[in-house]
Amino acid sequence: MHELWITNLFNRALSGPANAVLDGVHFPAQDHANPWTDWMVCEVVVVLFIVVLFALLRSRLSVDKPGKLQHVMELTYEFVHASAEEVVGHDGPRYVAFFGTLFIFILLMNVLGLVPGFESPTAYTMVPLGLAVVTFFFYHGTGLRANGAGYFKQFLGPMLALAPLMIPIEIISHFARPLSLTIRLYANMFAGEKVYLTFLMLTKLLVPVVFIGLHLFVAFLQAYIFMLLAMVYVGGAVSHEH
Amino acid sequence: MKNKLMMLVVTLTVLASPIFAQEANNAGAADANRRAAAYIAMGIAAGLCGLGQGRATASAAEAMARNPGAVAAIRVALILGLVLIESLALYTLVITFIAR
Repeated sequence: MHELWITNLFNRALSGPANAVLDGVHFPAQDHANPWTDWMVCEVVVVLFIVVLFALLRSRLSVDKPGKLQHVMELTYEFVHASAEEVVGHDGPRYVAFFGTLFIFILLMNVLGLVPGFESPTAYTMVPLGLAVVTFFFYHGTGLRANGAGYFKQFLGPMLALAPLMIPIEIISHFARPLSLTIRLYANMFAGEKVYLTFLMLTKLLVPVVFIGLHLFVAFLQAYIFMLLAMVYVGGAVSHEH
Repeated sequence: MKNKLMMLVVTLTVLASPIFAQEANNAGAADANRRAAAYIAMGIAAGLCGLGQGRATASAAEAMARNPGAVAAIRVALILGLVLIESLALYTLVITFIAR
């Protein structure tokens, strides 16, 4: 398969450490000479970009004369904070760090595919699956921490007599959540690429630009929806306090 | 309103066009019938998804017109509903690729 130039770079420079890590977790790479995959490299690129961006932001924070970057980041923070408070309830803003990270990470990963020479990591099944599994453990963890052992009472349903019926239904629906999160994000990004490529094949000129615009819109929307659904799940897990 | 409806119809029609991507993938599928069934399934899923999203958008637009103060909350509910309905059509798309 054709490698990206940056994957080639990573494979030539860092294949030793990559093989060491992969062998250490007993999950050896399929091709020992090129252990880095496209999506892994692009994920690392996004992470490095975010670290650099926030380091830059941190060094330029100012109360009297905020710069453009600070304005944009303040808008993003307000957006996530307001959504968390509205969807999760009063305790929402405690988890703004997680939701904001999800949003920014997924957004930048989705958009990276539009830059020539890179690919969206979210267009491969493993990346949305990882995000969905993390979200699954996060919302169960916060539910347990907020409610203690009483967290499991919500699986029993409204009346105790209905419990044998409700428990399998609740378990299945709780496992369907990370599945649907994964497939939604993966299929949107993957299908967006395929549609763009198809129209690039059919009409070589201006029409594919419309599809890039659509893909950009869908990238924003899918990042927002992943964050919103994570908030809804956390809200459902945390809300049985009162 | 009519412009937005046209835009929505065009967008949904275009979003149903991943079916073209099927014909581009000639990598030796096992059975022509399986592919035909997958195409038809995708068409049905896209059509019903379009109907569902149309109803959701129509209700949301009417609610926003009746109650301009609640526009923000209705917009959130609309986006959430549209994406959940969309994801059903996307599951069909994924199965289409699995059945090749």
